[in-house]
Amino acid sequence: MKREFMTDINKIKFEVYREVARMAFDGKLKECADEIPYNIIPGNLPHYRCCVYKEREIIRQRVRLAEGHTPLPGGNIKNIVQVLPAACEGCPINRFSVTNNCQMCMAKKCMSACNFGAITFESGRAHIDPKKCKECGRCVEACPYNAIADLMRPCKRACPVDAISYDEEMIVQIDDKKCISCGQCIVGCPFGAISDRTFMVDVIRLMNNGVKVYAMVAPAIEGQFGANVSVGMIREAVKALGFADMFEVSLGADFVSKNEALELEEKVKAGEKMTTSCCPAFVNMIKKHFPQVADKMSTTVSPMQATARLIKAMYPDALCVFIGPCIAKKSEVIDSITMGGADYALTYEELYAMMEAKGVDPADYTGELQQGSKFGKNYSVSGGVTAAVLQTYKERNEDVPVKVCKANGAQECKKALMLLKAGRLPEDFIEGMACVGGCVSGPAMLNKERTFMKDRNAQIAQADDRQIIANVDTYDEYQVHMHRR
Amino acid sequence: MVITICIGSSCHLKGSRSVIQGLQKKIQDNHLTSKIELNGSFCTGECEKGVCVKIDEELFSVSPETVDTFFEDEVLRRVN
Repeated sequence: MKREFMTDINKIKFEVYREVARMAFDGKLKECADEIPYNIIPGNLPHYRCCVYKEREIIRQRVRLAEGHTPLPGGNIKNIVQVLPAACEGCPINRFSVTNNCQMCMAKKCMSACNFGAITFESGRAHIDPKKCKECGRCVEACPYNAIADLMRPCKRACPVDAISYDEEMIVQIDDKKCISCGQCIVGCPFGAISDRTFMVDVIRLMNNGVKVYAMVAPAIEGQFGANVSVGMIREAVKALGFADMFEVSLGADFVSKNEALELEEKVKAGEKMTTSCCPAFVNMIKKHFPQVADKMSTTVSPMQATARLIKAMYPDALCVFIGPCIAKKSEVIDSITMGGADYALTYEELYAMMEAKGVDPADYTGELQQGSKFGKNYSVSGGVTAAVLQTYKERNEDVPVKVCKANGAQECKKALMLLKAGRLPEDFIEGMACVGGCVSGPAMLNKERTFMKDRNAQIAQADDRQIIANVDTYDEYQVHMHRR
Repeated sequence: MVITICIGSSCHLKGSRSVIQGLQKKIQDNHLTSKIELNGSFCTGECEKGVCVKIDEELFSVSPETVDTFFEDEVLRRVN
């Protein structure tokens, strides 16, 4: 299938994944991985960097990430999100810099706005002493000519939790104690110098070894492979890759809605507050940055874990692999090995690369599938979790007055959690989603264009209007345990 | 104390899931759930030593058969 990539970075990432997947499917990755840089960067002339040798070194580091390793041997093994040192350009670190727009004016408002005496006037324009500058940004606001540029490095600007710093050579470093694996720096770096480790080779090897591997696709899937490719067609394509079967995580989302609504009802009656627990980057933010409110987090498992537990109740030998637009799900898998849920997490990018490696195109298949309700499917959109939880009250004819704080994106999550921590949150319930707009704008989406949302909504409109509780109750015999422990 | 178990494909085929379940049971039996945290990790590249289990930064080679002795010899000693 032909696909337009959002950027050349996405294209290169895809090409590396596809080559690695192809070799892993053929069982010759170990012997042949060295060939990949030459397959992707042929010839002697560079395309993006100073020379082909640097370009090939970047590919080599990307191959290691695709295999699940750190980009360099001996790197920080704790983080999912990793820096490719060869690809990092060490952007200028002096955050505020005076541009040609400086008119050397008489008012010199920038100078009086600076509390640290960092601004002087020499050779026709203002000058900021980087040693004195505390990066407060007052000079930027003060200049009537907008002559001071904020050159914060894009990775640092993208990070909502201040996990990014630089070494003495200006190369990015990620603090694993602060990183919430949201993936914003991966999207934010214009040189593609940050990327994520993958479980793709592990999953392919296990399928090659005859292990029964079940795929679970996240609710952002509709429309990812084009307007005319339905979830049922994707399921058949996924089976052609070697998976035993595919389930919709929107089904697990229905389980979560039913359970979380009961939990919330109890909390509201007791006058307590609660947060959602389905977005793993939001959960990481609570654990790493707001541990004081960790007890307010819903104890219901995530839709991924609910789906995996259901599959394992049906097929005890199943190995369950989540496939979604999310990088933080990989950290959820690693942190929850004792939960009896998902075994691995892949992304849509990785799924697409596996399909291309095997020459599988979902458009060639036919099939129909709907397991989750429309409400479960909309878990991937900001506000969708709340809508589903409130829907279950409607289905039960209960009137539970809940005041909801929709925290849309990591910045809003941070604000809501700060209020909660200070005991000043006016609402009862925080729906936290670290990506602005919800999972549908996740860092590992294949397609985020406006046409995608149109395709997605058109496909979901064709789904039936099954109710959440009735849908969950059809799986009663499996007795899926919905608590984290 | 953090015990990290490799969940890469090689360690999986050597029984990492049974090792996790074995350790979980031992931790519960010994009432140590508040003291010991079990985490997974990506492949550490030492597949021949699998199942790779780390106590803090120290690497051990554990199999489903040796998980009980590993717990008694290495984990308990460090907890107490």
